[in-house]
Order: sequence, then C-alpha cells, then structure tokens
Amino acid sequence: MAKQLGFFIDQNYCTGCKTCQIACKDKNDLPIGVVWRHVAEWVGGSTNRFNGAVETSAFAYYTSIACNHCEDPICIKVCPTTAIHKGNDGIVSIDDGLCVGCRLCEWACPYGAPQFDAARGVETKCNFCADYLAEGREPACVAACPSRAIEFGELSELRAKYGTINDVAPLPDSSITRPSLVIAPSRNAQPNGSPNGSVVNPKELV
Amino acid sequence: MDTKETPLVIFTILAQMSVGAFVVNGILHLFARRKNAKAGIDKLSDPALYAIGPVMVVALLISLAHLGDPLHALNTMNNFGRSWLSREIVFGVAFAALAIAFSVVHKREWLTPLLHELLAGVTALFGLAFILSQAMIYVIPTIPAWDSWATPVSFFVTTFLLGSLAVGVDFVAVTTLPGMRSRHGGDTRPLLYQSLRWISASALILLGVQFVIEPTYALELSSKGGAAAQSANLLLFGGGSAFVAEMILFFAGGALIALFLHLIRGGTPDAVVETTAGSGGAGAAGAGLSQRVMVYAVSTAFVCVLASEVLGRMLFYTSNVRIGF
Repeated sequence: MAKQLGFFIDQNYCTGCKTCQIACKDKNDLPIGVVWRHVAEWVGGSTNRFNGAVETSAFAYYTSIACNHCEDPICIKVCPTTAIHKGNDGIVSIDDGLCVGCRLCEWACPYGAPQFDAARGVETKCNFCADYLAEGREPACVAACPSRAIEFGELSELRAKYGTINDVAPLPDSSITRPSLVIAPSRNAQPNGSPNGSVVNPKELV
Repeated sequence: MDTKETPLVIFTILAQMSVGAFVVNGILHLFARRKNAKAGIDKLSDPALYAIGPVMVVALLISLAHLGDPLHALNTMNNFGRSWLSREIVFGVAFAALAIAFSVVHKREWLTPLLHELLAGVTALFGLAFILSQAMIYVIPTIPAWDSWATPVSFFVTTFLLGSLAVGVDFVAVTTLPGMRSRHGGDTRPLLYQSLRWISASALILLGVQFVIEPTYALELSSKGGAAAQSANLLLFGGGSAFVAEMILFFAGGALIALFLHLIRGGTPDAVVETTAGSGGAGAAGAGLSQRVMVYAVSTAFVCVLASEVLGRMLFYTSNVRIGF
C-alpha cells in the first residue's frame, strides 16, 4: 500500500476540456452544485498596438484540481467534529456519521476541495476513488483524461519523476498545507500570487 | 450583502453581549465592594445578571441554524485539542451553564461571599476564553481578511462595548421604569451615577477604538492586493452603503453617550433623578425632561451601537475571500 498517494497534473497537455470533472461527477454521482474536481483557467499577458502593428503576450493555461490529500491538511485542523481524517495511504476523507455540516473546512481549504451537499447537510470531497483503487483500477479522473494530463501514484515517486513544483498560480502557497501534488508547469505558468493574470472562470470553481 | 450567515451574525453578537455584560457587571461589583455598596449594586444589576444565561442559551440555539446537520451538534466538541470551533462550543456551553448557576446561587444567596466571587470569576474566565476561541476560528491563514490582529481585537471590543451599554441600559431602566423603581432605594444614587459615568466613558473609548480600527484595517487590506484587496472592496462597498451606515450609527451612538455623560455630570444629580409626577416644585418639569432625555439617550445609543455592530458583523462575513481556488 502507498504511504502517501498524490496527483500529477501536466499543464502542457491539459486543454481545459473538463472531462476529468465530468468523469468524477458521474462516477461519484454528485448532485448539482457539487464538483470534487474542477478546472481553473488562468489568463494573463496583454495585447498592445503600435505603429499599426499588434504585439501580444496573452496566454492561458489550465489547472485541474481536486483534493490534494495534503500532508498538513487545514481541513483536519479546523474541523470541530474529527470527521475528517487521513488514512494509511494518505487519503483524506470525511466521515458522514460525524460531520455536522458547519462548512468551516470549506472556508479554510485553499483548493476548494470540501464541498457541501445541501440535501444531506454534510461536507463531501474527493476520496481518490478508493473503491476503484481497491479493485486495481485508476481514479475516474485519471482514466478519463483524453490528453493523459493527470497521473496518480506514490507522492515520492511522482516527485522523483516530475520534480516538486506545486506553487503555480492560481494555486495557494504550498507551505500552508503541503499538498500531495506535482505540477508540470505551462511555459507561461506564473508563480502563485502573481498579478499577471486572473482566473477567468471563477463561477465554475464554486 | 451576504445574508447566508445571519444565524452566525445573531449568535456572535448576542453571545458577545452576554459575556461582556457579565464581565462589566463583575468589574462594577469589584468597585462597589470597596465602597461597601454590594446590596445597592445588586439591586441595579440583578435584571441584567438574570438575563445573561438565558440570552446565551438563545444565542447557542440560534447557532444550530448554521449547521447542515444539527442532530450531529454534539460532535462539535470532539476536536478540543486542535479546533478553535470545538473550543468555542465547549467554553460557550460552559459559560452559559456557569452564568445560570451563578444567577441561582446569587438569587438564593447560597455559598460564602468568597465562593460566590470565585464562581463569578471562573464564569467570567470561561466567557473570555469563549470570545477568544470564537475570534480564533476566523484567524485562518487562507482567508487574509480574517487572518489578522483585527479579528480578535474587534471581537473583544464588541464584547465590552455591547456588554457595557447593555448594563448601562439596565441600570437606567431599573432606576426610572415605574415597575422597577420601587425596588430601588435612594441610597444607591451616588453608586448609580458613578457606575454610569464609568460605563459611558469606557463605551466612548471602545467606540473610538472601533471607529479607528475598521477603516484603518480596510485600508491595510486594500494595499495588500489579491484576495485581501477583494475583501477590502467587499468590506467598503459589498454592502451598498452598509459600511457608511455602520460608521454613522457608531458616531450617533458616541454622540448620544457623550450627551448622556454631560447630563449626569457632577456629583449627585438629584435634580435629574427626582422626577415622580407628584414631586412638585418649580424644577420638577425641567428635571423630568432631563430624566426622559437621559433614558432616551442611553437606550437610543444602545440601539445605534447594536445596529452598527450587526452591520459590521454582516460585512465581516461578506468579506470572506479565500486565497487559491
């Protein structure tokens, strides 16, 4: 069994198609308004005109994010009920039987991972498709990606293979929660907190 | 403006007022004890004291409306070692229970004076621990607008501001409302006016602090860019004119308290107090007017400050902008 599972996202291959998001929603039968995996579109640069010529530095790239099953999960720290816990394989999951639906984890998580199921009155989140893993299958998002931009595996192996970058805009400072996430940055990728660009699809990330 | 968190707005404001009133009452009792005026101050403060526990219970019940699954409410105390929210609930429930216990002990005159004061002190400490925990819930590194000194400072300022004004309204009501005045002896007047002067002066200082903190903090946020600047924008403009209304109400409350302080200036303002219809004499009409003005000033000041605190708390929740996704 893995010690700490993690995701790898290759921004150079992600086209922003959101198949991962839909595959996750389908597999987990998520209600309207709940998306465990979501895709941010970061757009920056500028287009200038001078002497009749047009020069542009405009760029865009996508980042697909679900729960990063952090090494230091802020959701676990703030949760008053101990409903959120980290398993032996590093997967962070929520116990419905304990969750009181106070939504504090949802406020605190800088990846928007915990999401509220209004009908059941509890928080829900990505569980790494633990049932699929037990059957030896890939998580739904990984299997569905048409450009094979998402991988998963033991975090130490992902880092050995792809490096340790995970501080790319619009992601938060990784020192806050130490996410189990490795990013292959787009050639236009901006450091987190960069003023060059903004998330242009904020309503899709709610 | 964001109204989703209305249960939390009501809960935090009522709870802070309860704790503040308990602590302010305690401080006034400590002063009164030095002047051997315990019986007098008890008459003045008893109605407020008996209201604190029930108001806190109501506040806690309202907070349940914020939960997705209130049936799991008891689970919120599970994570005392790590979660400020667990600590808030544990200390809050303990404060409510102790405040009610203290009311009963006080009413029945149980326990020795020393144990009596010890119980009051422990209750006040639980109340203050509750306010600190309540503030620390919001000091989250991923929400820059809340992750600041301003959160605990403004929660404590609100606590003592609303607490002292609530006690002030109680004191004035006890001494002027017909039904309540019969229980109040004339010998408590110097004590009453001294207490009211202290209450008014502290309230004015706290109002000043809040009046400076709020805009300064919004400016500090706006200079940081990113999520912090978005929060500043929501604080200042997210509620339409709510921020301006909050400031105006603050100012109005302060002006009324200043007027009240002016009315009760001097040593023993008997002229202000003697007002009963049959008291006769040339000064009666004028004195009656002063007393009415005094009651209106204090209660209107309380309403203004309460309204501005409610607006401020609504804006506080509206300014919730997280970094990252």
